[in-house]
Parts: sequence; C-alpha cells; structure tokens
Amino acid sequence: MTSPPPLLELRNLGVTYRSAAGDVHAVRGVDLTLDKGETLGIAGESGSGKSTVAASVLRLLPKSATVTGEVLLDGENVADMRWGRLRAVRWSEAAVVFQGAMHALNPVQRIGRQIAEPIRLHGTVAGDAADPSEAPGESGAPAGHTAPSEAEVDARVRELLAQVDLPPSKARSYPHELSGGQKQRVMIAMALACRPRLLIADEPTTALDVVVQAQVLDLLGGLVAEQGIGLMFITHDLSVLASTCRRIAVMYRGEVVESGAAKDVIAAPGHEHTKALAGAFPTVGDPLSRYAPATTAPLPETTGPDPEAPVLLSARDLRVHFRDRTGATVPAVAGVDLDVRAGEIVALVGQSGSGKTTLARTLLGLQRPTSGSVRHDGEPLPTSTSALRAYRRRVQLVLQDPSSALNPRHTVYESVAEGPRIHGLDGDERERVVAALEAAELRPAEDFLPRLPHELSGGQRQRVVIAGALALEPDVLVADEPVASLDASVRGEILGLLLRLRARLGLAALVITHDLGLAWNIADRVAVMYRGELVEVGDVEQVLLRPQHDYTRSLLDALPAATADDR
Amino acid sequence: MQVWQEFRGNTGGLVGAAFIVALVVASLVAPLVVDQAGLDVVTATGSPLEPPSGRFWLGTDESGRSILLLTFWGARVSLLVGFAATLLSVLVGTLVGVVSAHFGGWVSAVLMRVTDFFLVLPALVLAAVLMAVLPKSMWTLILAIGATSWPTTARLVRAQTLAVEGRPYIERSKALGGGHAHVIGKHVLPSVLPLVFANTTLVVGGSIIAESTLAFLGMAGPEISWGSMLDRANSSGAVTAGAWWYLLPPGVMIVLVVLSFTLVGRALETVLNPRLKGDR
Repeated sequence: MTSPPPLLELRNLGVTYRSAAGDVHAVRGVDLTLDKGETLGIAGESGSGKSTVAASVLRLLPKSATVTGEVLLDGENVADMRWGRLRAVRWSEAAVVFQGAMHALNPVQRIGRQIAEPIRLHGTVAGDAADPSEAPGESGAPAGHTAPSEAEVDARVRELLAQVDLPPSKARSYPHELSGGQKQRVMIAMALACRPRLLIADEPTTALDVVVQAQVLDLLGGLVAEQGIGLMFITHDLSVLASTCRRIAVMYRGEVVESGAAKDVIAAPGHEHTKALAGAFPTVGDPLSRYAPATTAPLPETTGPDPEAPVLLSARDLRVHFRDRTGATVPAVAGVDLDVRAGEIVALVGQSGSGKTTLARTLLGLQRPTSGSVRHDGEPLPTSTSALRAYRRRVQLVLQDPSSALNPRHTVYESVAEGPRIHGLDGDERERVVAALEAAELRPAEDFLPRLPHELSGGQRQRVVIAGALALEPDVLVADEPVASLDASVRGEILGLLLRLRARLGLAALVITHDLGLAWNIADRVAVMYRGELVEVGDVEQVLLRPQHDYTRSLLDALPAATADDR
Repeated sequence: MQVWQEFRGNTGGLVGAAFIVALVVASLVAPLVVDQAGLDVVTATGSPLEPPSGRFWLGTDESGRSILLLTFWGARVSLLVGFAATLLSVLVGTLVGVVSAHFGGWVSAVLMRVTDFFLVLPALVLAAVLMAVLPKSMWTLILAIGATSWPTTARLVRAQTLAVEGRPYIERSKALGGGHAHVIGKHVLPSVLPLVFANTTLVVGGSIIAESTLAFLGMAGPEISWGSMLDRANSSGAVTAGAWWYLLPPGVMIVLVVLSFTLVGRALETVLNPRLKGDR
C-alpha cells in the first residue's frame, strides 16, 4: 500500500428504491472521493438523488432501497460492516448535519442533553482533542468503552458550544428558545460531538436567512480548516457551494453530470442542468441577469418603470402590533410608507421575522392595521365585509408553498373557479377558467382541468395558484416568496411568467422575498425591511449596487461570493 | 369508491357492518312479522319464567312472554335511541367545534368553557336528573344521552378544524374573497366530516350502553328495550330464581351491537385518518 486510502470513496454507487409503481433508480453509477481536510459539494435539485448518496454513506437508507457498488470509508466497505461496527462508525467517524434543524431536535429535551447523547453512547470524551483520529471506534463496539463521568461530559458539551460560537449557558435552553441559526449551530455541535473525521451536511442552510447562512458557512469552513475534517456539502444552491467547497459535483436524475473544481464549474458550466442551477442564483450586479430570470420562453422587452404611472397601492405610516403571551405589545410593522405603481414590480426584501409577511397581509386586508392607512387607487381600504370582498378582486395573493396553497381535494378547475364563484362573476365560468390557465401558461389548459394538485409538479401547482388569482382580473399581485419552495429550474420560469404578465396585462406586483438575486432578476424597485421598518426604498440598481443603509450592506455582504480562492 | 375498497380489507369492520345492517333490517321489518299480542302482558300465552323449550326457544319472562320475541323487539328501541342520541350529539358537537375553531377569540373561549362544563359533569347523574325533571319517555332519554355525549365530539371537531384552518389554502380562499360560510362549507367541513363520521359510529355504541344503563336503573319509559328487560329481570327475582335465559339474551345483544359499532368505527378511522394509516 503506497498511499493511505481516501477518507471516503464511492465506487459505481447505485441505489434503487422498490415502490408500488416499479423500481426507481435514485442513484446510478456515482464515483466520488473525498480526502481529509477537503470539501466536496454536491449540487442538484430535489429528486436528483443527492440526499440518497449522503444516506448511503452511513447506511441510513430505508429498507426498500437496494445498494450496488461500494462505499469505502477509510478503505473499509460500509456494506460489509457488522451492526456493532456500523454503530461505532456512525457519529464517531462520520456524522451528519441534517436538513431542517427545526425538526431534527427533540423539543422536550434541553440542548445540552441532546449534544451529550452521542458522547454518552460512544463514550468518546477522553480522547486527545489534538488528535481527532485516535479517539473513536478503536474497539469496535461502543459498549466496550468506559462511560465518561458527568463532569467530563459537561466539559465536552461546553467545549462544543464554544466551537460553534454559542455561550455555554445555552446548554440549559430548550430548542424553541433558540433562533433558526442557533439551532443549526446546535446541530453542527451534535455532529462534532464524537470528533468525526467526515462531516456530511445535508442542506444545512436552506431554511436560514442570508445573514445567518453566511455565519453558518463561515463556521463550517473554519472547522474544516482547523480540524482537518472532510466535509461533504449537499445543497441546491450553487452559490453557497462556490463559497464553501473546493470541488463540486452536480447531480441530475441520479447521475453525476459534471464535476470539477468549484471555480471552473461555476464560471463555465458544461451541462445544461448546471447552467439552470447557476442561473437560478444570479449575481447581483450582473447586467446579463437584470430583468432576465433563467427561462426558456422568450421574455418581453423591459424598459423599467414608468415614474408617471398612477399609484395603485399605497401604505402610509402603517403600524401593526401584536400581543405576545406576556401581554406586551410587539410591533410587527412599525410605520411603513410604501407605494406600488400601476405596472410596477416592487420587491420587499428582509430576513424572516422582519414583518414582511405581516405587511403583505395588511395590504391584502387579511390583517387589520393598528394605525395608519392603506389606499388602493386613492380609496382607503374598506372595513365592511362586502366592500372588502370587492377589494379582494383587485388585489390578489400568491402564496409561498403551492403544495399547501391548494386544497388537495379540489381539482384544478375547482381551485381556479373558486374566486369567480365567490364573486359571482358573470360570463361562462369554464371559459374564464381556461383563459386564466392559459394566461398562467398551463397549456393546453383543458388537460389540466380535471387534475388534482398531487398529480402536478411544484411549478405547475404554483401556476394554478397564479391562475386562480388571475381569474379575478386583479391589478396587483402580492406574492409571498413565490419561488422559495420551488426547484432551481422552475424558479426562472415562474419569475419569467411574472414579467410576461406585467408586459401583457399591465399587472403590478409586490414580491416578498429574502432573496436579493430575485429582486435583481425582476423588480423595478426594492424596499428593504428590517425590524418592521423600511430602512431603504429605491430603484433596484441604486439600492443593490450603492446601498446606503448598514443593514442593506450587511445583507449584500452575506451573499455567498463565487470565489473559493481563500480556502 | 376508494374508502370502500380499503374498508373491505378490514375483516373486523366488515363483520361488524354486516351485523349492524342485519339488525337494522330486522328491526325495520319487525312490526310486519311479529304478532304484537305476544308482547302484551295480558295476552301473553306462556307461564311465568319457563325455561327454553321447543315452543319458547329462549324461555319466558315473569309474565309469560317469549324472551326471543322481547329481545327481537327490544332492538328497535335500543337502536333508535342509539342513533337519535348520536345524531343529536354529533350535530351539536360539530356545530360547536367548527364555530369555536373558525371564529376563535371570545367565541371560542365561551363555547369551550361550556364544553368543559359538560365534559366534567358526571354523565350518568346529569342524565338521571334530566329523566327525573322531564316526563319519562324515550325522547327524554335521547335528549339526556345526547346532552351528555356531545362534548367529546366538539373537542375532536375543534382540533381537526384548527388543523385545517392553519393550512395555507384557507388563507388563499380568504384572499380570493371567501367569507365565513364559504371557507367552512367549501374547505373545512369536507375535510372534517369523514372523521366526524368515523367518530359517529363510536358514539352510537356508547349511546346504546348509556340507554341500557339508564333503563336498567329504571329511568326509562315503558318501551321494551334491552336495558329495561335487564331491569325487570333483576326486580322480578329472575336472577335468584336462576332464570339465566332471561338475562343472557339482552346482555349478549348489547355486547354484540356495541362491539360491532366499535369495530366499524375503528375500521373507518383507520381508513379515513391518514395519520393512523401509516402505522399499520
């Protein structure tokens, strides 16, 4: 043996799921290697098999899966490991940071206890911190270790919390007392508990804000550099990979379609699918992606906003207060002035908890403002039920997650016809529904009418939601994170649709998002919301290229930069 | 229908349903095939407490009436009370549950406190008081049972409604301009009713037991039911006389009917509640 085997090696890995509809080849012929201190990014959209690859490393796949090929961990085939050996390897040699930190923590146990769980199970507290490769897995079965003392476990938990930049006092907290970013740090601390040499991070930042995401990415990058851990990073967001990983493999339909150095893959994507992924996360400031989301259909010429257009929707000194459990008032929206002109697309940007959804609900009349006014076409927002109903025809809502925004029992026809039926619109209902579906670019519309939501793809569902809004012929669409839960390739299509609707129907839109790239892609103006206030409002070029407010700057700085040179 | 397809796979539920259907049909045709003279104490032909024989298959009661005939006839009252009380309880429970969950705020607070009040009240005592205050009849019995059994349904429906109301498609429906009636009628009720239906079958079983209990305690009207048969068997000394044929038929029937309703209810619940389906 001349050189030591790589930390992780996948040879011709294939995974097949048996299902009622026949065999599904989730992963086919994947070859990957990862060395100590290296970072490997796996990119792909949902269903591309990237999470299945991660699960196969620790044999975490469900029973219905058949694995072919080899998974070699330090040269040892995972498939040949006996149960006791596998248990020792899990967590002490290779650990996983699961996606969705919100649900991966036990809500009724304190953080400290949960971090300590793997330490107690594996009994690996005493190992030299300087040599992480020695401590774990020596005797094979975890039961063979002497149990670490309470004081040792406590000390280790404090050390781990310090590593992920959390104060030791957080060990006494319950998960619900932590923010999303803090929970994600706890997940990383748990993964590090037994000093693994391989860390698999499955979408660790997907549910996080840009600012928090940047912190978590920094943390992971630092750990790799300091402790020589091998990191396998799985995500659908190429720009995140660009800033964390040295090498990238792009998966599509179970196969690795492209792999290489991160810089090369991002700068010159070879495969169609890589281009789609790259296009979904445009670089703010790149003139090529201005008014040009990645879409296959032709886009209208966009000249920018007409400053003379009449103001359609306006908020003046709008305030919305909530009461928390203790009875204290919490201002969700604290004095907002905002205008949306006819035919204009305004992006409302901010991190979660900044009050953007509350503002949108108030503009729609779904939430009563505490003070201040909302005007539509110069008229104040009505308060009576019937007048509000008439108002709702003009201003329509598109929700974030199309899979839950449609009643699973209603067909596409019923979902789209719901609005016209409520308002008792005259004319042929079927004609109206078909026209709305055509406008949302679901063609041929007739084919979709009898389908149920679960038979549609994510993008098609979002189009049905948009068609349902269009059926009422509104003049403003309020879209709350309209593409946040959609795949990269679909994202551009939906954003393109919004631009085309604006060109064809003169439809104005207020798009709520946490994604600055989206604002750059389609918006005329952008409003940045922070703690219930609009800190900066202006043209997209002005705000995103020459930000005035510190918060806007920090948002822009937190965007993952497509350079991996410093690592 | 898909529900029926899945229900068919559940043997217990199928057997229960078959028994219930047979009993309901038998009760409906009973007036046509039974000589009602045999039910009257005056016109009864047998001698008191006769053991089972060729003439009276299940023997006779203390007035010489055929136990087989009485048991057969008693099913009518037991089932009627069971179904009517359930209908009352489910109607009230669904209404309270949906309204309280949909409107929330003080409406919910008031309705839920009322529900809690009825929930903690000893059902038997409340029913006994109602029977004592109101005229003794089958309808009072139905009212008494219905009034004590709706809170559980209300709680169940409220929980389910809250879960549905949290779904984004309700928000979308409101943004489309849908009012309370639209949201409840189009979205909430269609997804709540299947569970209500499964719950209903379970409530029927409970109502039949309640009817038998109250009747056994002598708080029922003059109608012949399984509960009142047991009551008379007890008070007429049939138990000490060793007349097992007087006690067993109504008792076994109560057990069988309640068991059938429970089997059907459980089967429906598994079919209709996706959360329970995964565990099997």
